[in-house]
Amino acid sequence: MMKVKSFILAGLLAFAPAMAMNGQALAQNEAAASAAATPVDADPRSSDPGAPADSADANVANVSAAAPAPKVAAPPRMKPTEGIGMPRPGEITLQQQFTDTGRTARWLHDVMLLPIITIISLLVLALMLYVMVRYRRAANPIPSKTSHNTVIEVVWTVVPVLILLAIAVPSIGLLADQYRPAPKDALTVKVTGYQWYWGYEYPDAGIPEFVSNMLPEDKAKANGEPYLLAPDNRLVLPVGRPIKLIITGADVIHSFAVPSLWVKMDAVPGRLNEKSFTIDKPGVYYGQCSELCGARHGFMPIAIEALPPAQFDQWVLSQGGTLTGGTAAPAGQMGPQQGSTLPGPPASEAGTTTL
Amino acid sequence: MTTITADHHGDHAHGHDHDADHKPAFFQRWFMSTNHKDIGTLYLIFAIIAGIIGGAISGLMRAELAEPGIQYLQTWANMQHSLLGVEPATLDQAYHLWNALITAHGLIMVFFMVMPAMIGGFGNWFVPIMIGAPDMAFPRMNNISFWLLIPAFTLLLGSAFVPGGTGYGAGTGWTVYAPLSTSGSAGPAVDMAILSLHIAGASSILGAINFITTILNMRAPGMTLHKMPLFVWSVLVTAFLLLLALPVLAAAITMLLTDRNFGTTFYDAAGGGDPELYQHLFWFFGHPEVYIMILPGFGIISQIVSTFSRKPVFGYLGMAYAMVAIGVVGFVVWAHHMFTTGMSVNVKMYFTAATMVIAVPTGIKIFSWIATIWGGSISFKTPMVWALGFIFLFTVGGVTGVVLANGGVDDVLHDTYYVVAHFHYVLSLGAVFGLFAGFYYWFPKMSGRMYNEFLGQLHFWVFFAGVNLLFFPMHFLGLSGMPRRYPDYPEAFAYWNGIASHGYEVMAAGMLIFFVNLIWSLAAGRKAEGNPWGEGATTLEWTLTSPPPFHQFETLPVVD
Amino acid sequence: MATLPPSPFDRARRNRRTFVAMVGVGLAMLGLGFASVPLYRIFCQQTGFNGTTQRADAGVTVQQATGHRLSIRFDSNVQPGMPWQFKPEHPTQTVTVGAKSMAIFVAKNMSDRPVTGTASFNVTPTQAGAYFTKIQCFCFTQQTLQPGQEVRMPVLYYVDPKILADPDNKDTQEITLSYTFYPVEQGGKAS
Repeated sequence: MMKVKSFILAGLLAFAPAMAMNGQALAQNEAAASAAATPVDADPRSSDPGAPADSADANVANVSAAAPAPKVAAPPRMKPTEGIGMPRPGEITLQQQFTDTGRTARWLHDVMLLPIITIISLLVLALMLYVMVRYRRAANPIPSKTSHNTVIEVVWTVVPVLILLAIAVPSIGLLADQYRPAPKDALTVKVTGYQWYWGYEYPDAGIPEFVSNMLPEDKAKANGEPYLLAPDNRLVLPVGRPIKLIITGADVIHSFAVPSLWVKMDAVPGRLNEKSFTIDKPGVYYGQCSELCGARHGFMPIAIEALPPAQFDQWVLSQGGTLTGGTAAPAGQMGPQQGSTLPGPPASEAGTTTL
Repeated sequence: MTTITADHHGDHAHGHDHDADHKPAFFQRWFMSTNHKDIGTLYLIFAIIAGIIGGAISGLMRAELAEPGIQYLQTWANMQHSLLGVEPATLDQAYHLWNALITAHGLIMVFFMVMPAMIGGFGNWFVPIMIGAPDMAFPRMNNISFWLLIPAFTLLLGSAFVPGGTGYGAGTGWTVYAPLSTSGSAGPAVDMAILSLHIAGASSILGAINFITTILNMRAPGMTLHKMPLFVWSVLVTAFLLLLALPVLAAAITMLLTDRNFGTTFYDAAGGGDPELYQHLFWFFGHPEVYIMILPGFGIISQIVSTFSRKPVFGYLGMAYAMVAIGVVGFVVWAHHMFTTGMSVNVKMYFTAATMVIAVPTGIKIFSWIATIWGGSISFKTPMVWALGFIFLFTVGGVTGVVLANGGVDDVLHDTYYVVAHFHYVLSLGAVFGLFAGFYYWFPKMSGRMYNEFLGQLHFWVFFAGVNLLFFPMHFLGLSGMPRRYPDYPEAFAYWNGIASHGYEVMAAGMLIFFVNLIWSLAAGRKAEGNPWGEGATTLEWTLTSPPPFHQFETLPVVD
Repeated sequence: MATLPPSPFDRARRNRRTFVAMVGVGLAMLGLGFASVPLYRIFCQQTGFNGTTQRADAGVTVQQATGHRLSIRFDSNVQPGMPWQFKPEHPTQTVTVGAKSMAIFVAKNMSDRPVTGTASFNVTPTQAGAYFTKIQCFCFTQQTLQPGQEVRMPVLYYVDPKILADPDNKDTQEITLSYTFYPVEQGGKAS
């Protein structure tokens, strides 16, 4: 953790692509750069003219030369690491976690809950096997008539209470952690669930809403990404900076879920929810809608691309956004508008920020 | 069961003779029945039919999920559409069919299989006998309760063939959350499903009032509350849960109906409503509902464990009041189904703590069953084997409930297959094992014939292997993040899904054995004595012949 | 307690009495189900549950303006299909806890017909709802915009200084106030 933090600080100070330290992620980026330039830029849902969000190519499209070239090029589309930020084949436990609260929660599950429930189940099994063998009719033809034993009854009431108390203490602590609000310089991103895609908006940076649709199977495969998890446009977030997602639904209830960040928050129409976390490693983190929302509920995946701060700023600029908040960076120029403004209103004033 | 009809019918045209074994004519007996045993039989037949349909739907689901990709949905949707004489289904309509399938599976299993079998079937058959009553308090209302289920079930099945939004059928999930169920599902399918719930709910409320009245007022002399068999206790607690929970569901879904059809905005933020209010109301009903499904199972297991260990139930009062405690606490934990809706931290902490409390009375029950066996003299007859299976599998389902109770952990497990695994362990492996245990236990009493012991044991072992193979891998899927209610999934989830689908095949083979046993036993089973289980069977039903006379306890028994 | 078995007549009477009582219980629960609509609303308004904001009269005098500053973020939504643009003039504002502040939202009717809208709202984090008090808000009433009309709509609010004493809000540095506008159908869905 400390390593990550100091690395982020270094990144903030240097700002320039001093990304050599970030060997792994960058290597992937370069590998992805060539891939990203070609296969993803066509409309991923050409087979589906009914969908309301047709101009959905935002950050993918600007890698190709389709749009007028922005002054700052977007960082190349990051290549996911197999088994990180996504389920592994045949996996039997939780995904590896990349947030503090995720690690705490996973610890609670792996180190406390799972052993406790396993021991309890095995204890019950052992007791049952014992009584089944010991008190089978052949071994014990005359049954006892005992039907009370106050001591044992008190024990099996009190011991579970103690175990539950032992679980409750870290569990309540975990809840408090998960609800700790983000500091006010956190990056705020608005997430909107639609039938059946996600919309992302960066109100502070002035990046208007762009939408994120699932990549069709051939495109996902060509792109080296897992089908049904990979969308065309990712939610791009910085590493090491507190993030506050404000989440709402446009039509029915959806749920924004990314298992490897321990994030799941319902997107309820007519109501805003917030969820705060800090990602500590660059990477691509996949998730899926987790509240039944109609026919294509299973086909509105989520991908978060966590970039080192400097690259994130570069991305913000490439989208025509301005840099604000915790990132000390030169004032950005307004690039041409990218992506879709559907179905929200056009961003007439959204580009301005105060303070 | 149907052998009961075999003996007397024909020349007794009118119903209420005072000869104990005088049965009315066929139509009168089965369609206008006021006899609790006949009504119980009808409920059991109904539940078996509903179970076959609900189980077949889960077979479709496991077939589709056996491999990644959409294999059959499109074909099934086209079949559904050609049946209706409309154009072939679009891909979205095929996806909608998936949602209709999961919705139907849930509603059928909850409202038309487990509840009718547990309460309507075994409750009707044995509560009056166990308390030494000649019949239920309101025999004609009992008849109405059963026959209401038929239109309810018809409406639900019919909803699959009318428009429900994107495609045909109600695709809202059994929870029917607004606004997916209001503005998100045009067409009459959801209205039909809601009406079906109304009618089934009314049936259950009437049944609950009947049971409460029967148990409170109709007990034989000497049968005090604290002498009642635990099965009767379990039905009493369940009936109260039904009476308190179902009207709230009725109110909640009535408001859904008016939101859908009459422009009200109870759950619509556009008109000042709140979609989360529906969830609060639904789960205020929904959480007690899961205890409604499992408590009679607890009662059945207590009877069986005691019978086959030849020992009285250990800690009888603790067992009875543990059920009362579970029922009471069950009303104040509902929002643990809503941990990801954005509730505030204090609310989440409260519901985390309150939910974990339920583990205590549940633990008391598990340990008391083991203590009942302890020191006993066990014979491993089929019902006992099912009961033992129940105790272990219910424990496994219970402990994963403790995991899910932790709001902070539930954030990642909510609405994943971990939850599916959890509630199938407590319901499909808990309630259903309880049902089979009870069925084998009382089959000789109800039908007058013995089931085949070998087939019964075989059924247990095949079914046991099958359901564990089917549901245990779902824990792994859920932990690694697979969401519920998905017709297709990423490659990474293929392995455990494949295993689960094979588990379904094994389970289905087990069910085949059950039906062979059922038919064989009804046709050719050995005649059962009044008490086939020996000295351990101490409740009143075993003092009667098998099957019991059409009217039992013309003179009330006296319990010391 | 008499130990004699009750006569059938007694039993029928007792059954009837129990029946009536139980029907009463069922009806009471049914009533509770419907009553939950206003009860839930009142509960939310009283406790700030689910981020429900508080409301004060225009004449309210806020006693202790503290030195403590909070960031307020404004979030705006329009139901898909409603032909309005609706945005806060500034996405955030820094305010002093206890002091009255004003935020402006700009709404414009993009269509060629008059459209009436009504807004739902809440704040996050939800535990701040009990302290976020609106004195004047466009969300209290319906708003009608003529074709092409653009209006600046003020929200007059303050954050109750009691928030500083609430341990649940000790880490709260930013409160987000969110609005969603819905069209009001003619003669239809008014609250």
